[in-house]
Amino acid sequence: MYRIRFHGRGGQGMKTASRILGTAFFIEAFEVQDAPIYGAERRGAPVFAYVRAGREAINERGAITNPDLVVVADDTLVPVPAAGVLRGVTENTVLIINSVEEPETWRERLNLTGPVVTMPGVKVGDAQEVRFTGVVSAAAAAAVTGVISKTSFEAAIREEIAPLGEAVVDENLKRGVEAFDLTVKNGVSIKEGSTVSAAAYKRPEWIELGFESAAISAPAIHSAATSERMKTGLWRTVRPVIDYDRCNRCWWLCSTFCPDGAISVNKEGFPEIDYEHCKGCMICMAQCPPHAISAEAEHGRKEGGDEA
Amino acid sequence: MKRRLLTGNAAAAWGARLADVDYIPAFPITPQTEIIETIAGWTDSGEMDASMVTMESEHSMITAAGTAAATGVRVFTATSSQGLLYAMEMLYTVAGWRAPFVLVNVSRALAAPVTLEPDHNDVLAARDSGFLQLHCSTCQEVLDGVLLAYRIAEDSRVRLPMIVNLDGFYLSFTREPVEVPTAKEAKAFLPPFDSKGMSFRASSPISQAVAVLGGGPYSYFRYETHLAALNALTVFDEAAEDFSKIFGRSYGSVESYRTEDAKYLFVMMGSFATKAREAVDRLRDEGWPIGLLRPRLVRPFPAEAIARLASGKEAVAVIDQNLSLGKGGVLFTEVSSVLYGQPGAPVMLSFIGGLGGRDISPEEFFEIAGVAKHAAKEGKAPPPRLLYTEDELKEVRKLQMIANVERGELEDEDE
Amino acid sequence: MKTSETRFKGMRDLPSAHLLGTGTAMCAGCGGLEVLHEIYDILGKKTVFVNAAGCMTLLSIYPFTPFRGSWIYTAMASAPAGAQGVRDALDTLKRKERMKPADDLKVVCLTGDGSAYGMGLSSTSAAIDRGLDFLYICYDNEGYGNTGQQFSAATPHGARTSTSMGPRGFPGSKKDLFSIWAANSPAYAATVAGAEPLDLARKIEKADTAKGPRLILALSPCPVGWGYDPKDSVEIGKLAVKTGIWPLKEYIDGKVVHTKIPKKRLPVEEYLKRQGRFAHLFEPVRKDDILKEIQAGVDAYWEGVEG
Repeated sequence: MYRIRFHGRGGQGMKTASRILGTAFFIEAFEVQDAPIYGAERRGAPVFAYVRAGREAINERGAITNPDLVVVADDTLVPVPAAGVLRGVTENTVLIINSVEEPETWRERLNLTGPVVTMPGVKVGDAQEVRFTGVVSAAAAAAVTGVISKTSFEAAIREEIAPLGEAVVDENLKRGVEAFDLTVKNGVSIKEGSTVSAAAYKRPEWIELGFESAAISAPAIHSAATSERMKTGLWRTVRPVIDYDRCNRCWWLCSTFCPDGAISVNKEGFPEIDYEHCKGCMICMAQCPPHAISAEAEHGRKEGGDEA
Repeated sequence: MKRRLLTGNAAAAWGARLADVDYIPAFPITPQTEIIETIAGWTDSGEMDASMVTMESEHSMITAAGTAAATGVRVFTATSSQGLLYAMEMLYTVAGWRAPFVLVNVSRALAAPVTLEPDHNDVLAARDSGFLQLHCSTCQEVLDGVLLAYRIAEDSRVRLPMIVNLDGFYLSFTREPVEVPTAKEAKAFLPPFDSKGMSFRASSPISQAVAVLGGGPYSYFRYETHLAALNALTVFDEAAEDFSKIFGRSYGSVESYRTEDAKYLFVMMGSFATKAREAVDRLRDEGWPIGLLRPRLVRPFPAEAIARLASGKEAVAVIDQNLSLGKGGVLFTEVSSVLYGQPGAPVMLSFIGGLGGRDISPEEFFEIAGVAKHAAKEGKAPPPRLLYTEDELKEVRKLQMIANVERGELEDEDE
Repeated sequence: MKTSETRFKGMRDLPSAHLLGTGTAMCAGCGGLEVLHEIYDILGKKTVFVNAAGCMTLLSIYPFTPFRGSWIYTAMASAPAGAQGVRDALDTLKRKERMKPADDLKVVCLTGDGSAYGMGLSSTSAAIDRGLDFLYICYDNEGYGNTGQQFSAATPHGARTSTSMGPRGFPGSKKDLFSIWAANSPAYAATVAGAEPLDLARKIEKADTAKGPRLILALSPCPVGWGYDPKDSVEIGKLAVKTGIWPLKEYIDGKVVHTKIPKKRLPVEEYLKRQGRFAHLFEPVRKDDILKEIQAGVDAYWEGVEG
């Protein structure tokens, strides 16, 4: 059975990727499972989707913990523990990553022993490219399986994108096929993974859950503003940057309008952005009277301070 | 302590009054209404220092009861039947908050068809909600049960809401002699409310009843609530012992009547169990080795006590005043699951009776005893039986004729 | 309260420090969260929020809460009943001297339009009947946002939602929740928009000092559900006011007063064309009949106000 996981952010088309790939496998007469996994977070937050495909009926369900292939549509997710990009990745797992950096850099950085390739055919960090992330991710995955023909892949795109109209289908076909061909050239392929052995397995460490009083075990939070530990700055693909030479210390409009309360005003009356929590909605940029706030892509940024 | 004639509803109201409750969100429904009318009279006259508010539905009533308990006051409320079902979402919800308070349910059969008379399908629909359940068979037990319920619900080993159940009409509107404790005696048993930190205060921010993500935390919170419910078995026994010392009335989680040397047992809950008790006496007069088990606690289920009391008997006849449609009697299923696979497990028989207030006659109890004896001898139980007579069907046929039900079908059956 | 009595005389009087914690799971650019954080700054942390089911169910996810005061989650239908229980319990504790008066809290309901206009309306109505002393905040994103923007009773005429995908969008019209409240003599009721923070601050200030049932009906532009770039959330809110689609008004002392009457109203198109949910009114063919209907509805409303 093939076990394939797609990682991206809400809004980057990971569900679409899993559906195109699922349909492509299905057209190739595989038994298929595809599904997205949502958390409570919304657009911009880490999400993943998965595809299982095999020649026999699939009994496994739920999140894939032993992937043969992991496709990462947004490389800023890799260091985010909550995104779980590297969960279950072994020397047998292929990693396809959408990044301007070299595969070797990622192999070294993450101490990976398996193959790493960058995702072909998508311009990293270009906001306009987001609408093709899904199809390109599916293309890369389909190509490395070696069992999905280009014809089947194209048919899958047509089927999944059809509701969005012909023009969108055509664009997606073009980008999908291009990425498919480029990936085939790369020469990387994945193998079907095995199942867990009932003879030699790691025993679950069950415990006897003991009683704890409701003072401890009721679903209540006995503290204030603990949400600040959630680093929602990780959702951001674009960051607002204040040019303090242009900021006229108006009346903290940006601070008032920021839905997340992530802009505070310092003693001198200048706004300061809390990048650990700014989700990158860019309302501040849109509303700043002297246009003192600009947008910078998060891709390729190296400095810390915005990651948990 | 004073002995006086009280209806079950009045006994429930007295329970709330003696528990010195702070707050009563209410909503009228037959046959419970007399409880809130009685309490309203006392809060208006100042005999009860509590605030009462009539909500617009039972769903809202349980919500307000839960949030008030979560704020740190002692709460009482009451409902019945359709009202309990209308509140169902909030029953599960407030139990999950771990909000302790007492809800008196006056059992009444469920629609459709709508009816006013009792059976236990209403309260059993709340079986898995996290509310503990105490079932009463006399008006005395109703009053005592309310006091016991506060002790159990508020215990830090439990901290869960509790239902005290009584049957509509057979207890709710029926007067019986009831010993009414003095306020001082009641206080000796049930100390003033201590919310033990469950509260909303400006000085200590808290977010209650928050969502979780994932099965790990969810399983933890749910299982802890389950463990708290199980703790109520021990806490009940302790509270009952204190109760007995102060008031001289003893309560076990299971009432066991003439079971020691019995070969056969009736198992019933609620007020109809006194009919079974009477039948036991008459059968004993004739030399029958028979007794009665009546679970007072239904949640937590007193599994150990039932296993201990019923193991080694030859046959156990469970008479369910409820019906899980497509399965059968709920109590039968519960008791069977406790005894199955145990050494000396008896033959289990299932009878459905008393639906919608349908009476169960002494003769029917005697007949059940006979069937049980036969089953024990054969080592095999007969199929479940609905207690229903030919005369009853004839009555229904008359009604169907007036209702102009398809005559052909009725005639076919008569052939 | 006259303008001279408000502590919010100008924009510079708005709070420059914020109370609601960051790090919530609300979407980037959420208009509802913007409104909530503006309101919370003024109400302060001596509050207990009683939350109904909706997007903001997920404000608190164990063990993370953005509140510096208190919060409880109830259910979709009965948040006002939950507020009743808390208010009554606090009053009882004060009366019986089991709580320091300083520990008292203001009780606030927080619900979306799905609850406020629909499932929770019975409970809300009853809380008004009982004269419950509480502040009711509805973040109105004009649909069941948390489940992916299906239409609700607050969805405007012609809007496309995931359950009104037809060529003419939502056939119904937005229910007038403000008037339902105003008809029942609340202590205070007002409409607000996060995009108009000064107007909002003054209204919260008034609502905060009144006693009894009080409504704050807050337009909450939703980038995901309404189909626009998150950075435009404030712009969309401003356009709703400038086109007259979202009248800013209050019910006070038995009268409805408009707090900001747009001098020259922009055509409703200026608001509609910025949102994906109305795109079908412009493409592939312009649906003049629906656009005219919407404009006529707005014009008729303001004739009633100005007339």
